[in-house]
Amino acid sequence: MAKKIVAVTACAAGIAHTYMAAEAIEKAAKEMGYEVKVETDGAMGAENKLTDEDIENADLAIIAADIKIDPIRFTGKKLLIASSNDAINDGKALIEKAEKEATVFGKKGSKVGKIQIGNNKEKTTFFTHVMSGISYMIPMVIAAGLILTIANLYAFQKDDLGRIVKWGFDTKTSMGMLMSNLFQVGQVGFKLMIPLFAGFVAMSIADKPAMAPAMIGAYIANDAELLHAKAGGGFIAALLVAFIVGYFVKLLKKIKWPKIFQPIVPIMIIPVIATLFISLVVFYVIGQPIAAGMDALYSWLNWVNSHSSSAPIILGAIIGAMMGFDLGGPVNKTALIFGTAVFTDTMAKYGPMHANFVPQTASQAAISVAPLGVWLATIIWKKKFSKDEKTAASAALGMGLVGVTEGAIPFVAADPIRMIIANVAGSAVAGGLVAATGCKFYGGIGSPLGTFIGYIEQPIPFITWILCVSAGIAVTALIIGLTRSDAVIEAAKNVEE
Amino acid sequence: MDKEIFNIENIFYDQTSTTQDEAFKSIGQFVAEKGYSNSADDFYKGLKAREVESTTGFKDGIAIPHSNDDSVIKPGLFLIKFSNGIEWNALDKKPIKVAFVLSIPKNGSTEHLKLLSKIARKLMDDEFRTSILENDDKNILSDAIDQI
Repeated sequence: MAKKIVAVTACAAGIAHTYMAAEAIEKAAKEMGYEVKVETDGAMGAENKLTDEDIENADLAIIAADIKIDPIRFTGKKLLIASSNDAINDGKALIEKAEKEATVFGKKGSKVGKIQIGNNKEKTTFFTHVMSGISYMIPMVIAAGLILTIANLYAFQKDDLGRIVKWGFDTKTSMGMLMSNLFQVGQVGFKLMIPLFAGFVAMSIADKPAMAPAMIGAYIANDAELLHAKAGGGFIAALLVAFIVGYFVKLLKKIKWPKIFQPIVPIMIIPVIATLFISLVVFYVIGQPIAAGMDALYSWLNWVNSHSSSAPIILGAIIGAMMGFDLGGPVNKTALIFGTAVFTDTMAKYGPMHANFVPQTASQAAISVAPLGVWLATIIWKKKFSKDEKTAASAALGMGLVGVTEGAIPFVAADPIRMIIANVAGSAVAGGLVAATGCKFYGGIGSPLGTFIGYIEQPIPFITWILCVSAGIAVTALIIGLTRSDAVIEAAKNVEE
Repeated sequence: MDKEIFNIENIFYDQTSTTQDEAFKSIGQFVAEKGYSNSADDFYKGLKAREVESTTGFKDGIAIPHSNDDSVIKPGLFLIKFSNGIEWNALDKKPIKVAFVLSIPKNGSTEHLKLLSKIARKLMDDEFRTSILENDDKNILSDAIDQI
C-alpha cells in the first residue's frame, strides 16, 4: 500500500502561496509514489479539509504555512513545519526533508518549527480533566435524577389532617411498589455516577490504566458502610481519588519496566498496583478523617444548637451552609441527619409546640438552593455556559424543584472552589432566613414548592417560605454568574467538540 | 477566466522599471487606472507590505505579487512583463521578467477568490510558465490565461 502524506498550507493573504504550496506538495508527493491530501487554509476558509481519519492513516504530516496553524490535531504523527515557500521552491526536497527530520508531534514542551507545544493546554489541564469526567457524568445525573424526581413526588402522602408530612412508599399497592423501585433506580444512578466521574477524570489524566483504580477507589470513598462512617465522601472525595490515581498512574508509566513485563503493564501491573494503593489511601487517609470529621461536626452542631436558642438564624445559616457545601457528601449528610434527629427527638420529648424545628427547617430550605441557583445562573448568563451544561441545568431545575440537591453536582465538580462558595452562601441565606422568620417545616418537599407540597408553618402563609428560599437561590445564581471563569467555559466547550 | 477578473487590457509591458520599488509603483498605477483599486499609492504600499513578510518571487523569472489592502475594489489578475530583469530575491535568485499581480478584495466572493487561487496553482505548471515567458503577443498570452 502506498504511504500517505497529509499537509496543510496557508499564507497571509490566503490566495496565492497557499495554493501554490498545495499544488507543489501534491505534485511532488504523487511523483514520489505517495498518496496525498492537502488542506488549503486560505481566504475561502479550509478547503479539502483533513478528516480525523485522513490524519489517523497518514504516515507523514506537513504544515507549509506563513501564518500560525494549530498543529494539535497532528498529535502523535510525524510532523514537519515549514513555510509555504519551502514547498513552492521544491516540493520534493520538502517531502524528503520531512521523511528524514519530521518528529513525532505531541511531547509537551517540545518544539516543532516556530511553534511551542503545550502552552495554553497546560493552564487548563485541571478543568480539561474534570470536564471530561463531567461530560460522561451528566447523562447519568439526568437519567437518575429525573427518575428519582418522579418517584420522590409520589412519595409524599397526606396525613389524617390533610397535611403533607409523610414520606414513603406504600409497597402494598402495585403503584407504590413501582415507585419504590424507581426510587431505587435513581439511587443506583447517583451511587454509580461518583465512580463513573472519577474513572473518566483519571482516564483523561493517565489513559485507560487509571480507570479501574479510580472507579474502585471512588466507590469505596463514597460508600458509608465501607468507610464505617455515617455517609460517603461524595463527589469531593471522588475528585480527590481521581487526581491521586491519575497522577499516581502517570508516575507508574514512567518506570522502565523490564521488557518481558511491558505487554502486561497497562492491563495488569499498573491497575493492580494503583487499585491497591488508592484503596489503602481511601481507607486510611481519606476515610478515617471523613468518619471522624462527621462525628466532630455532629458534636459541634449540638453545641451550637444548645448555645444559639436565642438566635436561631445562626444555627439556620450554619445548617444551610453545610447543605450547600458538598451536595449529598458527608457535610451535607451530617446537617441533614442532625436536622431530622433533633426534630424527632424534641418532638417526642416536648411535643409540636416546643420542639426544635430550626435545623430541619433550615436543611430543607437549603436543599434546593444549589440546583435551582445553577439553573437560574444559566438562564441569566446564557453565554457563559455550554450547550451540554444548559441541558444539565434544565434537569437540575426539575431535581431542585423536588428537593434533589445532586442536580448541581456536575457544575460544582467542574469548578469546585467558586461553585462551593456560591452554593454555601446561597444555602446559608436560605437556611438563616427561614430560621430567623420562624418557619416550621413539618414535612414535604425541600424547595420553594414545599410550601404547597408539604406542611410548613410560617408567618405569612405560603409566601415567607418561598421568599426565603428564593433569596438563597438568587444569591447563589448571582455569585455563579459573576465569578464564572473563562477557563471553565473554554474547557466545557472543548470537551463538547 | 472571468472577464471581470482578467481580460487582454490587464496585460502591461513595463519598459522602464529597473528596481522592485519602481515596479511596484508602476503596478499600483496600472491597477488603479484599470479601476480595480481606488488608490495607486495604497496598492503600492500593500504590495510592499506583503513582500516584507516573504518573497513573492517564484522561479524562472516569475513573481506573484499581490495585495489585499483596503483600496482594492474588485478581484483582478494582471500580467506585467518587464523589459529589464528585476531583482526580487526570488526563490532561485533569478531576476524577475514576469509578474502575475493579484488584487484581492477583503470581502470578495468565494467564486472570485477561487479563480484567483487557480492562477496560483497554475503557476506550478511548467508548461504554462514557459508559454507565458516565451510569448510576447498579448493575444497569445491572454488565451493562455483564459484557459485556466
